[in-house]
Amino acid sequence: METANIKLRRSMLFVPGSNAAMISNSFIYKPDSVMFDLEDSVALREKDSARMLVSQALQHPFYKDIEKVVRVNALDSDFGVDDLNAVVRSGTDVVRLPKTDSAQDVLDMEKVIEDIEKDCNREVGSTKMLAAVESALGILNAKEIAFSSPRLIGIALGAEDYVKDLKTERSPDGIELLFARSTILHAARAAGIMAFDTVFSDANDEETFLKEAALIKQLGFDGKSLVNPRQIELLHNLYAPTQKEVDFAKKVIEASDEAVQKGSGVVSLNGKMVDAPIIERAQLVLQRAKLSGVREL
Amino acid sequence: MEITKEAVVGTLESSDAMIQIAPCGEIDITISSSVGAQFKEAIEKVIQDTLEEFKIKKAKIVVKDKGALDCVLRARMITAITRSTNEKIEWKQLI
Amino acid sequence: MSNYNSYTIRKIELKPQGGNIKNIKKFLEKNDLEISHDILFFITIEKNEDIIACGGISEGGIIKCVAIDKKERGKGLVLKLMTELIYIGYDLGYTELFLYTKPENEKMFKACGFTKIETVPGLVVLMENTQNGLLNYCKKLKENSKNIKGKKIGSIVLNTNPFTLGHQYLIEKSASECDWVHVFIVKEDASYFSYRDRFNLVAEGVKHIKNITLHEGSRYIISRATFPTYFLKDEDVVEKSYLELDLKIFRRFIGPALRITHRFVGSEPFSGVTNQYNEAMKYWLEKDDSNYPKITVEIKERKLLQDIPISASRVRELYFKGDVENIKKLVPKVTYEYLRNRNNNTNKQQWK
Repeated sequence: METANIKLRRSMLFVPGSNAAMISNSFIYKPDSVMFDLEDSVALREKDSARMLVSQALQHPFYKDIEKVVRVNALDSDFGVDDLNAVVRSGTDVVRLPKTDSAQDVLDMEKVIEDIEKDCNREVGSTKMLAAVESALGILNAKEIAFSSPRLIGIALGAEDYVKDLKTERSPDGIELLFARSTILHAARAAGIMAFDTVFSDANDEETFLKEAALIKQLGFDGKSLVNPRQIELLHNLYAPTQKEVDFAKKVIEASDEAVQKGSGVVSLNGKMVDAPIIERAQLVLQRAKLSGVREL
Repeated sequence: MEITKEAVVGTLESSDAMIQIAPCGEIDITISSSVGAQFKEAIEKVIQDTLEEFKIKKAKIVVKDKGALDCVLRARMITAITRSTNEKIEWKQLI
Repeated sequence: MSNYNSYTIRKIELKPQGGNIKNIKKFLEKNDLEISHDILFFITIEKNEDIIACGGISEGGIIKCVAIDKKERGKGLVLKLMTELIYIGYDLGYTELFLYTKPENEKMFKACGFTKIETVPGLVVLMENTQNGLLNYCKKLKENSKNIKGKKIGSIVLNTNPFTLGHQYLIEKSASECDWVHVFIVKEDASYFSYRDRFNLVAEGVKHIKNITLHEGSRYIISRATFPTYFLKDEDVVEKSYLELDLKIFRRFIGPALRITHRFVGSEPFSGVTNQYNEAMKYWLEKDDSNYPKITVEIKERKLLQDIPISASRVRELYFKGDVENIKKLVPKVTYEYLRNRNNNTNKQQWK
């Protein structure tokens, strides 16, 4: 039995672009994606040096087998165009666009990316995008943003700025984020792309982190941005399926394979018909199990 | 390119390197490394290669290495050069 | 974002207005350090709003008042701190820094790329972040003076603020007694007259003396680095450890590089700091030390004018009063011309 290789993005580890030590070793923690940051974690003084560090890291063999995302500065800042030049040419897999308020923001950046791809002979469209929504306006435009470009692999919530925009602050149960999370998730699912949750910044509070992670998993999120490598394993364990889920998924895939062999268009298991979404779900479960094993309850 | 002013880049922290660069009549490189003298040659090669790449014939360079990877050294060196010259990076040539 | 350890790094500017340094003072006291008065910027590292590390940088690019909380040592905080201070140094135009610390911290700062210049055992060590800065300086001195012959080689260190007949007399007299004399002009721009002007006046005023070398001053001879209290206004108390550092550097490095056998100095009736310096000189340059050749100190009586010793401070006093006639008798022609022009250009009112 072969499962399709679905790219999981449960954990996206933020790495400040100006921190040489973290740039040099973050791959060892094996997050699903490493997300180099050139934006908020980098002081104005270090924008140029961080860009160069990230550019060099992107080309390094250490990062050959890991998905690389770079959060660039906005196009209307002094740094956006240089950031894009550095990271697109250096071969980032994904550009994370900060503070996305509208579909036009995505299109504007896409245009710059496309010009750079042409200039350096990369395949047009090969650089993917991830739009981070961090304002009330962005949330209300989430659907248009999610549908704006075929380059988008997903949309993400950036809660730090968003709660400020709402004139509130984050709470342990996250009630203030419920609308934004639901909206982003719906927009992403409607557009057939992924949805990512915001960071949880207190690295020492594992209990609350796990509660939040369980919540967003239940809501349907594909994963979450992380600020501390210690959170990776916690999150992966949470996303690991139970043995029961794995057993069921295996049966679904077996039934599906059998149907394909028989040339039958209909898959059935224990007399019940199994439709496409259930098969996709089963593939996801097996992929998660493959990477993180089985969760003990 | 010509080094026209003094500049510093990087940090003294682990896995990084601090590079100080200044105008000078010749190439003058001083390297100290916390991880051992045996790495000095490799560090010097990265520095020399980068200078050559940017066609720099005169510069004083002081490297304080804290076990930086080659790619970190190279990044620090390129930034040092751009900060100490008044020229913009030509991305097309660099990458 | 992405702060694995929740440190906050702050930069506090002390001059010109003076920042809030109450907490820094308290923290320094806890670490047996006093705040220094010429600090321009402090860097503090805070954890949960408590200072756990701090360090300052003063005029002249000298790092001092560095302290790390005992519980927080060994975590590389000093590397963060020194990185920030080095960057401030660059912003201020000081790319080569000096550092004062307790001798037990020498190793910690070595890890920051600083090397030891000189120590006062148990009290203080002076370090620099240039590799072999002092040694290279001495090498250059040696190279430039290799053709100088003779046995009795004199030296004079002068601030010349401004150059007077007293200075001229001291140089002439010393030169007449020696095979060669090295004259150093204090380089810091902390005096009323700029270093460039002070230097040029001396250069003009000693042209007729053939057996001397006039040296640019350096940061290793009576500078803010080697001798900070000299440049603090209204401070007549000289910390003995600074005297010791400055004189040890002269005896151990600069003297041998130039084969100096004598140091000449004018007797000092006015300035307390200079007087204490002259006293200390006798001790540190002449005392037995088998490793370093002895330098004989000769204190020359000041040249008098109407029974009053000629001094730069007297000239400055007259200058501020606008008393041109009396200045004329105290300074060489070149200084007189300079003072007259300078005054005409800045404030004609003062000259009656």
